[in-house]
Amino acid sequence: MKNNKRYKLIILFCLCFLAVANVNAQSDWQVPAKDNENLSPFLFDDDMILEGRVAYENSCTSCHGTPGQDDFTPMSPPPGDPAAEQFQAQSDGSLFYKIKMGRASMPKFEDAFADDELWNIVAYIRSFNENYKQQLPNMEGVEIPVYAMKLSFDQNVDKLVVKVLAEELPQAEVSVSAYVMGTFGKHLLGKAQTNELGIAYVDVDPALPGDAEGKVNVLVKATKEFARAKVQQDLAIAMPTEIHSAIEGRHIWSTDRMAPIWLKITFFVSVFGVWFALLFIVFGLRNIKRAREES
Amino acid sequence: MNETIAKEHLSEEQIDQDLLKNVNWGGKFKLWMGFLTVSLIICLYYYYQQLQNGLGVTGLHDYVSWGIYISNFVFFVATSLIGMLVSSVLGMMKVDWVRPVSRIAELVAVAFAMVAGLIIITDMGRPDRLLNVFIHGRVQSPIVWDIAVVVTYVAISALLLYIPMLPDIALCRDKLNNVPKWQQKMYQRLSLGWNNTAKQFRLMNRYTRMLLILIIPIALSIHTVTSWLFAMTLRSGWDSPIFGPYFVSGAFVAGCAAVIIAMYFFRSNYKLKDYITSDHFDRMGKLLVLVALVYVYFNINEIIVPGYKANTADAKHVHEMLYGHDSVMFWLVQLGGLVIPFLLILFRPMRKPLPLTIIAVIILAGAWFKRVLIVVPTQLAPYYPIQNVPEAWSGYSPTTPEIAITIASFILVLMIITVLAKLFPVVPIWEVKEEMNHNNNK
Ligand code: HEC
Repeated sequence: MKNNKRYKLIILFCLCFLAVANVNAQSDWQVPAKDNENLSPFLFDDDMILEGRVAYENSCTSCHGTPGQDDFTPMSPPPGDPAAEQFQAQSDGSLFYKIKMGRASMPKFEDAFADDELWNIVAYIRSFNENYKQQLPNMEGVEIPVYAMKLSFDQNVDKLVVKVLAEELPQAEVSVSAYVMGTFGKHLLGKAQTNELGIAYVDVDPALPGDAEGKVNVLVKATKEFARAKVQQDLAIAMPTEIHSAIEGRHIWSTDRMAPIWLKITFFVSVFGVWFALLFIVFGLRNIKRAREES
Repeated sequence: MNETIAKEHLSEEQIDQDLLKNVNWGGKFKLWMGFLTVSLIICLYYYYQQLQNGLGVTGLHDYVSWGIYISNFVFFVATSLIGMLVSSVLGMMKVDWVRPVSRIAELVAVAFAMVAGLIIITDMGRPDRLLNVFIHGRVQSPIVWDIAVVVTYVAISALLLYIPMLPDIALCRDKLNNVPKWQQKMYQRLSLGWNNTAKQFRLMNRYTRMLLILIIPIALSIHTVTSWLFAMTLRSGWDSPIFGPYFVSGAFVAGCAAVIIAMYFFRSNYKLKDYITSDHFDRMGKLLVLVALVYVYFNINEIIVPGYKANTADAKHVHEMLYGHDSVMFWLVQLGGLVIPFLLILFRPMRKPLPLTIIAVIILAGAWFKRVLIVVPTQLAPYYPIQNVPEAWSGYSPTTPEIAITIASFILVLMIITVLAKLFPVVPIWEVKEEMNHNNNK
């Protein structure tokens, strides 16, 4: 009996501690002032929001749920709903920092996403806030290089070769990501960094199906700090594939004109055969009439 | 020699008199036809509604687009198959006892087959576009095969009713002097100048034999193709390779029951106890046991093979039947409409005319609901979930117009049988006589 009471007391104590720790933890996530004021160098457009959404659905939904639905996983401290005040009241820099650095059960995404991809996620979180007005950094005095990209394909090693230049000079340490454009969106081909020659190599699966000439539509993005560039172009990097119409040729499922010969023959021979026999009988009925006249 | 056809005590005149007696337009007939006509008009009013407002007046929707119209169609095609079994298979095997009831079977076949075609049209929202099916139909489509084969079956059944009836039509022409003028003219024309010459009999037998042979593949196709309308799709509960024989065996059950009911009706109303004897009922009962046994066998296959598997869509379909959403109707139909009646008719007293007819009515009703169970539940279990649609679409219940139009199809069948049975003798007179003479000479 006595033991039991003590036991209960211990539980109560633990619960209190947890609650206090919880409140503490929540209020305590300090973001360094510099990081707090950090601003996205990119304008949050629909493209960013869409990419952010894909990243969010892949990496965050399991804990934070669908934004706006308050269906985050119950944990301590609670992850919270990104559409809620708790998130939206923070600065862009603060969200960026927290996602990047993580804390306790909030994973650290620094290694998983490049900076521009982290901003995509922030753009997505912000898209749930109607009153949000993006604050852009003061770019005065900051020189943003204008990138140009040259794409080619190295057949010997099946690599997409991306050369990043600014004013004819090769750019090192630029993050390059390459995508193949499909009917339902883009598929990541690979990511790489440019070397000191301004060249990045992205592996290409040689079995990737292309059009009849092996072409696919490739999108390549290059980012470094505030600089960003995009090219989209058809490249013969994939396996030449002949695409056949599903109703091409003679099939059960094609048009009437293209019905399989065996089926047409079977159908028409049986139908006409039977009706021929029936007409033979119907006309034969005249013989019955004639048979009377004979007698 | 068996007692079914032992009619030594009857003279030919007596037979003519007995069997031609029903060919008249008596008061009873007029009353019955009047009743049928009024009912039909009421039902047709609902069809008019459907023509005006479209299929929206029915309970059909995007998910269940085949409701009781199509179940009813399947039922009608099924019932009409009996003509083939009785007149062709048994006829060619020289099973003599069926001869007096073969015309009744043929009447049932013609009436149900004819109306089956019409039922398809009632399931169309735009019947005015019916011709498009013929103009734009694809030979690959089981629906096109179905149309071809239903039309052919109606034609063969009609010929098979008509040609063996020639001697009897001639008899009507010669003996019935007090019928209206148009009717006499009709017999005159239809009898094709029949005067019982040996050559005429030879020709008639030859054509009949041809038809009897032709009708076997056609009848098998008609119901196999009807089953393919379902089995050729990839849907749980329909995607079954034994659907053809399953349907055909079920068809014989429904058809036997329908013929037994018709036999009973003609026997008591037309006073044909000497011609359609209780021995006929006994034998039809045994035939029913045989076909029901085959059908039970197919049912077991249809249920246990997919049902044994753990988690396929077909297994779910079967479990839904056995103890799920459709289980009440399922067990009523399977036990009440098939197994129990089948066990009952194993006993001789149950094969007496009245009990057998009552059992046949129950079997026929069960057969009708069985078709609903085949057609509807599958459509309520699509592979994609039913979502973002009106609440009512996750179920199906037929509306009043739908039920009325379905009843109309039964009224039409009754009208066709009634009129034909008033124009012509329902028991083949010449065959009865031939049988009798044959027996007497032995
Ligand atoms: C394993 C579960 C988990 C995953 C996955 C996760 N989070 Fe979190 N997140 C948490 C938890 C728990 C907290 C609260 C941490 C705290 O307050 O100590 C949190 C906190 C946050 C915060 C700070 C909220 C605040 O109140 O300040 C942000 C922003 C955030 N997460 C964004 C994300 C994003 C974006 C992703 C996906 C890229 C993500 N999280 C994935 C569990 C997760």
